[in-house]
Amino acid sequence: MPDKDHKCTCSEKPLVPNIVEVIDIIDRTPDVKSFFVKNPDGNGVPFQVAPGQCGMVSHLPIGEAMISCTWQENQEYLEFAIKRVGLLTDELHQIEIGQKIGVRGPYGNGFPVNDCKGKDMVFIAGGIGLAPLRSFIKYCFKNRQDYGKITIIYGSRSKADLCFKEELFELWPQEPNTEVFVTIDNAEAEWDGHVGFVPSYLEEINPAPAGAIAVVCGPPIMIKFVLQSLEKMGYNDDQVITTLEMRMKCGIGKCGRCNIGSEFICLDGPVYYLKQLRDLPPEW
Amino acid sequence: MKVLSKDKLSTALNKLSDSAEVFVPMQKGKQSGYFTWKSFEEGQDELMLEALNVYQSPKNAVFPQTERIYGIASQGVEVNIDKTYEDTSANIIFGARGCDVKGIMAMDLAFLTKGYEDSLYKARRSANTIIANACYEPGPNCFCNAMEVNCVEPAGADVILHDVGDGYGWEVKSDKGEAVTALLADILEEKEVKLPAIKPFIQNVDYSGVAEKLKDMFDHPLWDKLAEPCVNCGMCTYVCPSCYCFDIQVKMWGEQGYRFRTWDSCMFEEYSREAGGGNPRGASKERFRQRFLHKLQFFKERYGTPLCTGCGRCMIVCPTDINIVRIIDAVKEAEINA
Repeated sequence: MPDKDHKCTCSEKPLVPNIVEVIDIIDRTPDVKSFFVKNPDGNGVPFQVAPGQCGMVSHLPIGEAMISCTWQENQEYLEFAIKRVGLLTDELHQIEIGQKIGVRGPYGNGFPVNDCKGKDMVFIAGGIGLAPLRSFIKYCFKNRQDYGKITIIYGSRSKADLCFKEELFELWPQEPNTEVFVTIDNAEAEWDGHVGFVPSYLEEINPAPAGAIAVVCGPPIMIKFVLQSLEKMGYNDDQVITTLEMRMKCGIGKCGRCNIGSEFICLDGPVYYLKQLRDLPPEW
Repeated sequence: MKVLSKDKLSTALNKLSDSAEVFVPMQKGKQSGYFTWKSFEEGQDELMLEALNVYQSPKNAVFPQTERIYGIASQGVEVNIDKTYEDTSANIIFGARGCDVKGIMAMDLAFLTKGYEDSLYKARRSANTIIANACYEPGPNCFCNAMEVNCVEPAGADVILHDVGDGYGWEVKSDKGEAVTALLADILEEKEVKLPAIKPFIQNVDYSGVAEKLKDMFDHPLWDKLAEPCVNCGMCTYVCPSCYCFDIQVKMWGEQGYRFRTWDSCMFEEYSREAGGGNPRGASKERFRQRFLHKLQFFKERYGTPLCTGCGRCMIVCPTDINIVRIIDAVKEAEINA
């Protein structure tokens, strides 16, 4: 949420990362891996995150990128689910357990978990867009009594590209008052679930807007059509939350490039209510 | 008033250079900008204190074109940050014009407010003293008066020089100013001086209401027309006294290297291009619009003052004659269809 008077939460040298050790790597899809990191002495983490916050991940000899950091109940390690899309992430995908990397953060404002208390939650994600929402989903399940019905609608290009399969198919559907809907873009031999794009599936499922909050993250084109669908379904702009992505270098609102209007996404975002985005230039 | 006689100028600059790097406007070969007095070569370089604006602004004194952030040692799975860099050595900008002082004031807002303090900038700026040079005769491209700058009494200056012919009236404005004044106690003289009268501005620019009006002009067709000549060369951002965007990059030689930052430009396509290939400002027009909205609207909304200081440099260097004054005029004149 935009907060014009940030309290400084950084170290004395905000651009210098903390060195951490990669303690585990899990293949989520053919091009998404989760990296788990801890302080090199094995004790704890350099910083704690709220659901939706990000961390700058440095493979020191190569580069840095802003990555959503998964919220954990016991903040014993940090998890970053990273899709292989470019130079840095390509190199990251080649590292092995034991590698030292850098992290700095936490950056940005997380999801408004308190504002959403008492609401029915509708999480809508596409592809790697589930990674930031997963933090909020996990938070809701840890504080189950604070939230109403939980509906999770998730899609990806193919079955192989579905992230966090164990949670999607085994853990989350067992939670009380929870429904999980999964779709893939095109039919496949070993898939007997729903086929189609997320926006049309969302309209088909049609979760009621009364007392609900929709949280959306995915590729820009998906977000665009999901927002249109939600509007059609009767969701107001103050019932829709999304989390944005822009290229970032500093993470602290200085280097310039992640602005939309006078907002810096790294510092003032990345989480916004749709009604806040409507006041910004349409560059999101 | 204290006066620095012009025939004692080199003595004063020598004296100040004993304890600080002193950045002075000069012509150095084909370049003009703020270079250190220690690098001044008699007979080759030319002091440019009389000129209104040298080609490059003094922003490099507090925000160098490139600077190291930390050193990296990487061997197999081990990696260490073996050194962090912070330059706290004293530096003085001598002779900055009001527009350039305002550029640093704007960078102070960007780097030192809104939650995080940029430690590299803070180190340099804490050790920085600004000796400004008051302008009494605005040049043909000057419009600082329209951009919240007082060119005779620039806010943020530690000392203000007032050219009174054979000397500079020496007006102390801050504790840092007192400190440099003390260094020159033997050189400054107490004299009666008559300050010149300020001549009228040649440019007539009216920025009032522009930031507010631009809020409703993001999709206005005028951007297509205004941006059409732009070749996105980035010269305007390079010479701008207040453009502060930076990139962070790494340089490695085998197992050793460092991470550094370097000036960047919103004019460049890579500036906002994401790893997956998406780019919210992929088109030339979008980058052009971003630059002028940042200068005239966004920075004002966020920090309360425009990011243009009216120095006129970008109008001089632009190879396609894009002129921020004409852009302000075009915005003022534009009709907004609801």
